[in-house]
Amino acid sequence: MTEEVVLAVRSVTVEYPGVRALDSVSIAFRSHEIHAIVGENGAGKSTLMRVLAGAVEPSHGSLELCGRSVKFAQPSDAIRGGIAMVHQELNLVPTLTVAENISLGREPMRRGGVSVNRPLQVARAIELLAVVGAQIDPQRLASSLSIAQAQFVEIAKCLASEARVLIFDEPTAVLGANEAVRLHKVLEQLRTAGRTIIFISHHLDEVASLADCVSVLRDGALVAAFRRHGKGPLQDAAGDSVDAARLACAMVGRSVGSIYPPKGNAFVGENAIELRHFGAQGRSQGINLAVARGEIVGLAGLVGSGRTETAEAIVGLRAAVGTLLIRGRAMRPSSPRTAMRAGIGYVSEDRKGSGLQLSLSCIENTTLPSLDAVSKYCGLVVDRKAQRAVTAKWIAALGVRCARPALPVSTLSGGNQQKIALARWLETKPHVLIIDEPTRGVDVGAKGEIYDIIARLARGGLACIIISSELPELIGLAHRVVVIHAGRVAGEIDRAGLMQRDCESQIMRLASGIPIELEGAA
Amino acid sequence: MIGRAGIDWRHFQVILERWGVLVAFALLLGISTYKQGFDFLNPENVRALLNSNAPVGILAVGMTLVIACGGIDLSVGSIVVLAAALGTTAMNRCIESGASELNAVLLGGAVTIGSGILAGCVNGALVVFGRIAPFIATLGGLAAFRSMSLAIADAGEIRSQSAALFSALGRGGIPIPGLENAGGKPLTLSYSTVIFFVVAAIAQWFLSRARFGRHLIAVGANETAARYSGVSVAWIRFRVYAVMGLLAGVAALVQSSRMNSVSTSQLGLGSELDAIAAVVIGGTSLRGGFGRVWGTVVGVLILGMITNVLTISGVSPYWQGAIKGAVIVLAVLVQRPARA
Repeated sequence: MTEEVVLAVRSVTVEYPGVRALDSVSIAFRSHEIHAIVGENGAGKSTLMRVLAGAVEPSHGSLELCGRSVKFAQPSDAIRGGIAMVHQELNLVPTLTVAENISLGREPMRRGGVSVNRPLQVARAIELLAVVGAQIDPQRLASSLSIAQAQFVEIAKCLASEARVLIFDEPTAVLGANEAVRLHKVLEQLRTAGRTIIFISHHLDEVASLADCVSVLRDGALVAAFRRHGKGPLQDAAGDSVDAARLACAMVGRSVGSIYPPKGNAFVGENAIELRHFGAQGRSQGINLAVARGEIVGLAGLVGSGRTETAEAIVGLRAAVGTLLIRGRAMRPSSPRTAMRAGIGYVSEDRKGSGLQLSLSCIENTTLPSLDAVSKYCGLVVDRKAQRAVTAKWIAALGVRCARPALPVSTLSGGNQQKIALARWLETKPHVLIIDEPTRGVDVGAKGEIYDIIARLARGGLACIIISSELPELIGLAHRVVVIHAGRVAGEIDRAGLMQRDCESQIMRLASGIPIELEGAA
Repeated sequence: MIGRAGIDWRHFQVILERWGVLVAFALLLGISTYKQGFDFLNPENVRALLNSNAPVGILAVGMTLVIACGGIDLSVGSIVVLAAALGTTAMNRCIESGASELNAVLLGGAVTIGSGILAGCVNGALVVFGRIAPFIATLGGLAAFRSMSLAIADAGEIRSQSAALFSALGRGGIPIPGLENAGGKPLTLSYSTVIFFVVAAIAQWFLSRARFGRHLIAVGANETAARYSGVSVAWIRFRVYAVMGLLAGVAALVQSSRMNSVSTSQLGLGSELDAIAAVVIGGTSLRGGFGRVWGTVVGVLILGMITNVLTISGVSPYWQGAIKGAVIVLAVLVQRPARA
């Protein structure tokens, strides 16, 4: 196996007005290599990716492709140079089929070059989908794909371009545990085939187990680089082995202890919310769950198991079946508005699509559901002073870092956006808060802060339901974890159970539909 | 302090994006004054300019709200003619049946504005409850409302039977002290202009200060996130179209009273496009989520000024459309957000 340097950045600096996003960074990317870039949000990872993909031109420094100095003025230059990027937000055309998406811009033509050779197009798609190990009908419309499937199609699309270098921006952020394992296999296959894989990830375990090479960025500078020799662990320059904790250390520049806050005690007997044979029509059913004041209950399950749909049914975004009791009173919210009045808030998993108005300011975003409360004259006129005061209060309480609250929330980092999404709901003074994927796309430092916030709220009496694909997060944060499989409760791990070493594999078994112990023998 | 050599182009672009419409207005004003001299700034010309653009201006104010909410309304020109036709007919019937002129004019006005609101509600219901794309739903209205008014008057003209009162509303105004026209009579600020500015001020206030306005912007910026946040998206969108209908009714009243008649084949023809053009020139995003009424007002004035200047300088009316089109495209080009 010859490992040649395919792509290299040489003392690349990127300056934006007032900010140095990258500071003289030099990294070499080799063939047959999985190269992870880690760093907190704002460390310069995305800027580096954008330089590689030709979306940003460096202010100083140079790029080398196979030993030759190159200049990428626009993304199409990078693509022509054999560099493909799999974006975090997927770029499939929803109204085209999977096969059409995969060959978009490179359609195989019939002789004469007028009409598309459809059989060949489909055959190629099948071939490429097989490479990424995804069983998807190439004739399906892209709009019918799940997020995980779309991700695999996106990868197949990059393979179609025969790129030598594949850049993945947080490929596993939207995937459940099973799909993530499949993606890892695909990445390893691509490495064996001689391609260069560059990926950004916040999952440090994944990085420690998968990457051959890790570059750590902090404040725009390269602060550490680790390599794996043969099949051994990642090592630093001195030859000491490096694990996820060490990576986290290097990222934040200090040592991080357990990022999970101590668990408080639930107010047993005071149920804030109770589900009886509840479910989202067609997606889940027969769910019995009571959450006491001050309790944090985790909902685990694979992507598509009906976790999110159940939450959406609770707040009236979907048709529900069964009974829902809120503080002992039966009710059935018909919309998020009535749910809000009943004291239930739902922080959606998709900040960009359904969680925030990204183009609006922090002030607008924080006060949107609670505009009535900050209005004068029977809720007719918005009291801007009150609006600003409320926002300032939450910015201080949740430690949001933003230059000015009047700036669009899109200028904030993922972690700070998530805090604003939380603030939006906390300001409605809920009794029950359902948080779907509380730390998706959030860096390590901010993750810990968000965990602290959730634990603090629970100690104050808030009943929390946390939906997450990250099991360590559920285990570290929740008092108990309820596992959903195929729309039904597959089992529950209590507080004592969460202390056991094998609880993670227990949850995985339940989530995959494998019965354990006494749970309804197969 | 000595400035650095060279202009920061990026900074310049940001300024243009935000204040471009005012820059354009100032430029146009400068050019017009330079070319036409005193003729252009003549108070009588200014008065005529404001007066003739008020109806489209009132429509554009409503259109700003619709577009900021992520919608569009192509039917406004047809709502104007239908509302005016119904209102004037009602007024005439009332006079024929022997009611006093005042009562007849009041009834006619109420019918005009009421039918505007009703038409707006139809649009809103189609968009919200019928789940039809706003473009299509209001395209239907564009054809249907016009056709109804043609049927009412056999495609002809409906003359108002009100001898004085109705047209006084359209042609009268508030005298401005110290200004006189060529005939030596005191110059007036016409009621239509006053209505335009008052409507614009109220709309701007609603958009930036009222809960309705903020919800409207939230819906335009991200409808799903707004629904998840407990905003009743359907009700907000319905009301936006109803308000648009109301303003179309007001514009109809201003138009029909000025002419003291309604030409069912001509009135309001194409004014939906003028209104949309003014909104776009004013910097409101066609994608929704951002809107500014004051920009629209400047946009209306820019469009009006172009026509006015071209007409004064004797440019063929056939060429005026081309120049207007160029200005619209240029305005959007300058104001589009800098590439990320």
